[in-house]
Amino acid sequence: MIAQMDQRTEMMMTEVSLDELGPVDYVVVEFPAGASSFTGEMAAELRALVDAGTIRVIDVLILTKDADGSVEAMELSDVGDLGELQQIETELAELLAADDVEQLAAAMDPGSTAGVLIYENVWAAPFASAARRSGGQLIANGRIPIQAIIASIEADESTATVGD
Amino acid sequence: MPLRPARVGRVGVIRAPVAKTAVVAAAVTPGRGAPVAKTAVVAAAVTPGVGRRRRRI
Repeated sequence: MIAQMDQRTEMMMTEVSLDELGPVDYVVVEFPAGASSFTGEMAAELRALVDAGTIRVIDVLILTKDADGSVEAMELSDVGDLGELQQIETELAELLAADDVEQLAAAMDPGSTAGVLIYENVWAAPFASAARRSGGQLIANGRIPIQAIIASIEADESTATVGD
Repeated sequence: MPLRPARVGRVGVIRAPVAKTAVVAAAVTPGRGAPVAKTAVVAAAVTPGVGRRRRRI
């Protein structure tokens, strides 16, 4: 099995040279107990992103956290009918290790289920590659939470009100 | 169901416990109870040429 994983990882690395690899991100989408409503919409949107060449899915895990805080992890292939995700599942690289499960589950509430998605930002690869060829170095990246934008706008509004 | 054996015994790539981020479901899903007006303001703030703010440096 380890050899199989090594083969998949090696295939991933040889098919896409390191210089052409886009940034790799992860998201953890939590579904609170009793709140999940799977209609296939998420799978269809994910498939559309892959088909459009926007992202490449590297790994997927499904985590459940019991009320007592214990965590179980499930492979995507263990989900019954994968539908739109069938093709994606066959191309997963199994990047995540068992050690990662606890780290990822730390963000989950007890009683919830979460999908973990590891993906390459394929759209960013040509730009990142061009930046490197131009002598640039990525020294920081991150995400600006919507809440921070709202706070900034509200602060501006209150400043304008005070200044009026 | 257990994870594939290939995942066991390897060094992980997530180096530290992941912290929960603020949930933004209400802000990005216009609908009943969603702050639609606020969403519009944020959308304007991040759209070039629309509702542009002057940067004060």
